[in-house]
Formats: sequence, structure tokens, C-alpha cells
Amino acid sequence: MAIVSGMDLLRHLRFFVAVADSRHFGDAARDLAMTQPPLSQGVRKLERHLGVRLFDRDSRGVRITPAGQALLPLSRDLLRLAIALQDQAAELLVSHQVRLGVATDLDHLTDAVVRVLAGTGDGVVPTVGGSVELADLLRDGLLDLAVVRHPGIIDGLTAGTVLVLPTRLEGPSGSDSLAACSLPIAVPPRHHQPPAHDQFIDALRRAGHSGSVVEAPDATQRRALLAAGNTAEIVPAPRGAVHDPALPPLRVRVIAPHPNHRRPEIDHDRATQALEQALTR
Amino acid sequence: MSQRDHRHDLEQIARDAGVRAHVHAVRLSEPTEPLGLAADVEVAIASVYKLPLALVWADLVEAGELDPAEPLRLAAGARMPGPTGIAVLQDDVTMTQRDLIRLMLTISDNAAGDAIFGRIRSGRIHHRLTQLGLPAALVRQSSAEETRAILRDTESADRPAALRALADPDHPTYTSQYDPAYSSAATPDQLTAVLRILWSRAGRAHDLVRAAMARQAWRHRIGSGFPHDDVTIFGKTGSLGSLRHEAAVVHFPHEYPIAVAVLTQAVRPEQHLPRVDAAIGELARRAVTPLRMPDTPRPTPPARRS
Repeated sequence: MAIVSGMDLLRHLRFFVAVADSRHFGDAARDLAMTQPPLSQGVRKLERHLGVRLFDRDSRGVRITPAGQALLPLSRDLLRLAIALQDQAAELLVSHQVRLGVATDLDHLTDAVVRVLAGTGDGVVPTVGGSVELADLLRDGLLDLAVVRHPGIIDGLTAGTVLVLPTRLEGPSGSDSLAACSLPIAVPPRHHQPPAHDQFIDALRRAGHSGSVVEAPDATQRRALLAAGNTAEIVPAPRGAVHDPALPPLRVRVIAPHPNHRRPEIDHDRATQALEQALTR
Repeated sequence: MSQRDHRHDLEQIARDAGVRAHVHAVRLSEPTEPLGLAADVEVAIASVYKLPLALVWADLVEAGELDPAEPLRLAAGARMPGPTGIAVLQDDVTMTQRDLIRLMLTISDNAAGDAIFGRIRSGRIHHRLTQLGLPAALVRQSSAEETRAILRDTESADRPAALRALADPDHPTYTSQYDPAYSSAATPDQLTAVLRILWSRAGRAHDLVRAAMARQAWRHRIGSGFPHDDVTIFGKTGSLGSLRHEAAVVHFPHEYPIAVAVLTQAVRPEQHLPRVDAAIGELARRAVTPLRMPDTPRPTPPARRS
């Protein structure tokens, strides 16, 4: 008697159930995307293994035997359980991708930040949101790292150095000074990071601007307001561009869960370093 | 509104203002259900140490151990410079203990605080605090020691330079004086306990301390939550870098006084944050309001004749 391993048993049970369902070896082989000879061979091996005949084969076709009928429900159960086992294992499969939060304030720097992690290691799954929300996701274990506006409340998390990014004024009439700009500034909503928002408005007033702002939920909306000539915008200056030191800078930092709550699959320090380099290069 | 809803309210205000907040409020009457947020967490209290120091002083005066009229000499060369009062002066000053207490409380004069601290000495201060059931850490050190620590931590030549270093928005700067293990420290409920003891005392020295607290020069923190001319705020603030505190008794006419302590640390480092000062007022108002109660039974209306 042939020794049938556990894996073979499940495979042969699939054959058995397929033939029982279609009452035809050819149709069953097609359903299983295989040819008929190995299917017939497999069923015969299963019959030998179990010591009972499962099908009667004659000129009129295939009929399931009373023994086959009796074993069919358990066979279906075994296959269902095998699938359930695989599904659960798939859910437990640990992803090595970095779940990265990116603050909406980063504007075009978002590309550089996401790319630096996408290009190395196991890739990245980005989430764009307000800094307060991203910090909450980190605390709940739903993110591995986040680039957020500074300053903000980051209790329970660890933070990298404060990165002070130069900015540029974008308005309808080219590069006015902030003091000469009479338009409100389009900014992310205050609730995205209240202390940073308040600090930004204080800096606008310090520079001679009225401090009036329009809170727009995302960068596209801010672009649209700018295009309409309704607002100006202060965005991170492109690499190497001349920037006005009177403009309030964009302060950001990379935050991570407390070391005890980090996923061991992720190299947080290396990823943080890469992000900081991408932001300041 | 439940305790939990109140806590949630207070948390929202703190979060919106960008501060970590520790709050405790309790009515100074029969034991009540107190109200607070992280009320048992110990934090560095900066100049709020002058409040328990004033209580110790008044107790010792009433016990006959100190003479409130004793003149103390504060030689110019022996004083640590500070932001207000005698600490900004150039020449020698001689002043009685009770007037030093008044300057220490009304304008948080560091030189006056140091003189009282030095006159009583830390051993006797700690002994008295322990007798009152309070931790000695409430008055761990004088203002001069606090100033020396921030000069050392920030490598600065004087106090204004040290405070500028702590206020740099681009370079977060740390000082041991943010750490309750190295500074005068308290939980909010310990500070309301200090106020409860102070309000339970009948001595003249205690009267003097309470009167000085009512004349505190600024009303931008807890006072901003009670913009009513007939409400007395007996407060003592404390400020250092990102720390902004106040402990106060809020007294509405014809109501029981309510002790409240609001201790905050801001995530913004700047020296001037009016929004945070206002949030302290808002936190105090939200904590105090549910505890308000008339101190005399309302006259029963005459029975209606049918």
C-alpha cells in the first residue's frame, strides 16, 4: 500500500470532491486546471489509502459508491478547515513594509520622504494625515514611523531631532515679501497640530503679515485657492532655491513608538535616519 | 456631567492649547468629590514653591519661632539677580520678614524668597512640611539654586540668556529644573492641600499671606478664567521655560472658597504664550464651576397663602 502523506491526502481529497461534484473525470480535471491521467491516478491512490472504493466506473460514466457518499461530508470539512488554516496563517504573516505616516504639511516633500523608504528594504505603506492623528495611530500601533509637524504633543512616543526646513512664499504676484502680502495664507487645518499652527500664525504677524489664514484640508485644495488668487501659500523651498529667512520655516520631526512597542521587523533607527536625510538633503 | 466627562473636557482644552496639564480643584468646605486631571502626578513647580514656604513661615511666626518684624539685610553682592522686585535692584536692601513675604507673593520676588528660605533654613522648612503631612520636596530649593541650575544646564552667563536658550524653537533645550526629582515639586492635589491648610488657619501671619496672595500683580492665568471684579483670586504662579503654573483659591462672594491648582508644560518653548495662560484660566474655570456652592443656606421663601 502506498504511503500517502498529509499533503497528498488533502490534494487527493480535492480530487475526490471535484469528481463527486461533477460526476465526470474530464470535467473535474478541467475544474482543477489539470489533465485527467494524474487526477484518475490520484483518486485511485486515495482509494488504496483508505481501503474503500469511492467511485464505480463503467461505460455509462462515474457513480459515487455508498462508501464514497459516506466519506464525502468529512472530506469537505477537511478541505474547508485546510483553507481556513491557510487564511489565518496569511493574516498572521508579518509584513516588513514600513507603515509610514506623513503630515499633510509636507507638500511636495512627501515624494522624497516616501521614495527614500520605498527604494530601500521591504518598501513602505504611506498614510497622509494631520500630525495629531498620526501620533494617535503610532500610539495605537497602526504606524511604525511618522513625519509630523513640530511642536506638538508626543507623549509616549520618541522623537528625532527637530528639522528646520526653509520655506518659500507662493502668491499670485510672484515672490512678494510676507509684509507686503495682503492675501491670507492657505494652511492645513489648525486641528492637525494646534501648537505648530499657533506658532506659525505668531510668526506671520511677527513678519508683518496680518496673520489671517484659510484652513484647507489638503494640498490640492490649497493649490486651488492659490490658483484662484484667493490666498498665498508658504511651502517648503525646493532644494538649492534662494529662500527668504523672514519666512517662518517648516519645523518637522520623525516620531516613533516607544522602543518597547516597536515592531522588531522594522529597523526604526535606520529608517528615521533615511527620512531625516531625505528631508534635509 | 460625570467625572470622566469633566476629565475629557479638561484634556481637550489642554490638547488644544498644546500643553500637558495637571489639574486639581476642591471646595474648602466639608470633604467634597474633588475634580481633576492627572491630579496625583508630581511635576516641577518652579516659583509655586513660595506658597508652601509662606505657609511654613506663617506657622512658625504663630508658633513664636520667627519674628515677622525682624529686619533682614539683603546685600547686593549676595543676591541672585531675578526678574522682579529686590532681585532687579542694584543696592543693598534691608527689609522685615513680613514685607519680604509680601514681595515674594505679590510679585514672586526671587531675592525675597531666597532671604526667607535662608532665614528659616531648609531643615526647619522640611521638618514643618513633614509635620503638616506634606512632602519636603514642595520646597526642595531656593530660587537662587534654581537659577544656578538653569545657568549650568544651558551654559549661560545670566538668567535672561538661560531663558532665551530654553525658548529656542529650533533647538529643544532641556534643564534639570523640568524634572521633579531635581526641583521643588508637587502634585496638584498636594498644592490644594497646602491651600486647605492655609485657609484653615486663623493667625495674623496667615491673614498676611492670604492678603498678599489676593494682591498678586498678574491675573492672566487662573484669574483670566474669572473675569469678575467681585471674585477674589488668591494666587501664586510659577514659571520657568515651558512650565506655567498657578495654585489659587477662587472666592465668589457668598460661596465656599475653592482651591485649584493648574500645572502645565507647553510643547512650544517660547517665553510668551498668552494662549497657554488663557488655557490655564479656562482649565481652572471648568474645574471650579461644578464645585461652586453657597456658604449660607438660602432663606426659605415665606409660605404662600392660598
